[in-house]
Amino acid sequence: MRPAEKIEKMITKLELKASARLDEEVHDAISAALDKSKQTTSATVKPGVWRIIMNNRISKLAAAAVIMVVAALAITFMGRFTAPAYGLEQSIEANHSVRYIYIKDFRAGEDEPRQFWSELDESGQVKNVRMDFPEWAGSGDGPKIIVWKDNKAQVWLKKKKILITITDKAVADHMLKWVEECDPKLAVEHLYERQARGEVKIQIVQPSNKSEVISVTATYLPESSKPNVRWVMSVDQGTKLVTAIQVYQLKGGEWQYTSVMEFYDYNKPIDASMFALNEEVPDDAMRIDQTTQEIGLPKGELTDEQIAAEVARQFFKALIAKDYTMAGKLFEGIPAEKLQEGLGHVKFLRIISIGPAAPHPIAAIAAMGGLIVPCTVEIEKDGKLVQWKLDRIGVRPVHSQPNRWTIFGGI
Amino acid sequence: MLEDKLLIWKFNRGNREVLHRIYEKYKDGLVTLAGALLHDVDEAEDAVHDVFVGFIRSSGSFKLTGSLRGYLATCVANNARNRMRSQRRRQCVPLDEAGLPASSSEDAAYCAVFGEQLRQLNEGLGWLSYEQREVVLLRIYSGLKFKAIAESQGVSISTVQGRYRYGLEKLRSLLNSEVER
Repeated sequence: MRPAEKIEKMITKLELKASARLDEEVHDAISAALDKSKQTTSATVKPGVWRIIMNNRISKLAAAAVIMVVAALAITFMGRFTAPAYGLEQSIEANHSVRYIYIKDFRAGEDEPRQFWSELDESGQVKNVRMDFPEWAGSGDGPKIIVWKDNKAQVWLKKKKILITITDKAVADHMLKWVEECDPKLAVEHLYERQARGEVKIQIVQPSNKSEVISVTATYLPESSKPNVRWVMSVDQGTKLVTAIQVYQLKGGEWQYTSVMEFYDYNKPIDASMFALNEEVPDDAMRIDQTTQEIGLPKGELTDEQIAAEVARQFFKALIAKDYTMAGKLFEGIPAEKLQEGLGHVKFLRIISIGPAAPHPIAAIAAMGGLIVPCTVEIEKDGKLVQWKLDRIGVRPVHSQPNRWTIFGGI
Repeated sequence: MLEDKLLIWKFNRGNREVLHRIYEKYKDGLVTLAGALLHDVDEAEDAVHDVFVGFIRSSGSFKLTGSLRGYLATCVANNARNRMRSQRRRQCVPLDEAGLPASSSEDAAYCAVFGEQLRQLNEGLGWLSYEQREVVLLRIYSGLKFKAIAESQGVSISTVQGRYRYGLEKLRSLLNSEVER
């Protein structure tokens, strides 16, 4: 390691701990600000109106009369209107105490839902998430399960029988997107904010029968960010928690159902094993931990197309040399013995052509920088020389290792 | 990463409860940054305290964009810079000539918390000009981009890159015997 790198490494190791005194002072300041914020909210609304009324002599008399009438009405109707009318803020408040939730996300035309289990910490931050994706939601991977825990994602590809462990910004971003899409708390806050900005028209139907759900219909206005979209939210009257969100889109003058999310088991603790894929995945599955090894090749000064072709070239060179350790490193970090098991029976002789690289045909992969590199290699099969054309070798940046590129998927 | 995005999302929507979490997550890193900049643990804690009090007061009145860590590190660096300037005014002696870092690094408590292994580095950092030290720490410890540091210091990117390069060079020559060992 160069001296400059050593210095950089040493600097990153600097560590001081905040003292208990600082902790106390800052937390107290935050709590005081929270208290003040709550007091300010009530003080600016209720006493403000009261002061206006009571500062005027005629108003004082009128107010006294109103108080008498209101008192009489209150006695008359007490019992019928004891519960306040529902407002979105009640669901926002109710969501503060949520620690666990189980979600089913159905899409129009698909039988199986995506399923999510989410555990939040005491401050409401996402702690652990598990997502079960059926075939239709697998982005070409087939059915898969993703667990996010301790800043690491484990992806279990059921069909391929591969368990990959990664830690990555892109994965974190995707997880966030999914969490946002399906988190009822964020959904309600989102609606509340849009309502305040006048971007949605909200209609609330609160049945008198308490066993029936409150229905909140939010229609995005034409000038909003989601014109022609309507959400219908069902809210439990007792807990004020969201039980379902149906999404509709206006097509041909009709509101057509596109998806529904159902929310279950609020605050029912989720078994820790749900977030531990190692126990669930069969012993004979291939396990690839990309957090403990360097994958692929460094890009250096090469262009995306050049590094993609180079990774493919080095991969086949390694196979020709029967260096399965190197080949595995270039192929998502697959263990050498697994690669040998899969390709050991093929005798790779020489590379005939590599490239040119082109954007990956799957849009989601192309969006992450994935390329496809057509390759032709010569192999020996049954004693004969054969040209093997591989037109779906995918190469992309390594998720958790910036500037390194790897082969992925199948060959 | 995921958590930061949610924290920013909530902060921007006026949820002040997240401030507790933000403080817990970044307090040690910020105290370390301030400590390395100011070479005084108490001053460092005061700087972090001031930054958070300001952050609390301003929540709801502005929206965070970009990195939460980077934003807080920049605030701490700005606060530390102001503190250093007022120290300079009080002492009326240029920092390099005053030998402040070397004497501060002899502070037993300071050495104890950083550990003997990093004492040399700490002392070396102290011999950089304040501007160089700030750039080196913001770039390496806090992970800020040169552009962000330049905006924070009100100078050009090339000036910041120059400070970084010279700072690292100086640090390397100061620590050479230690590092090469």
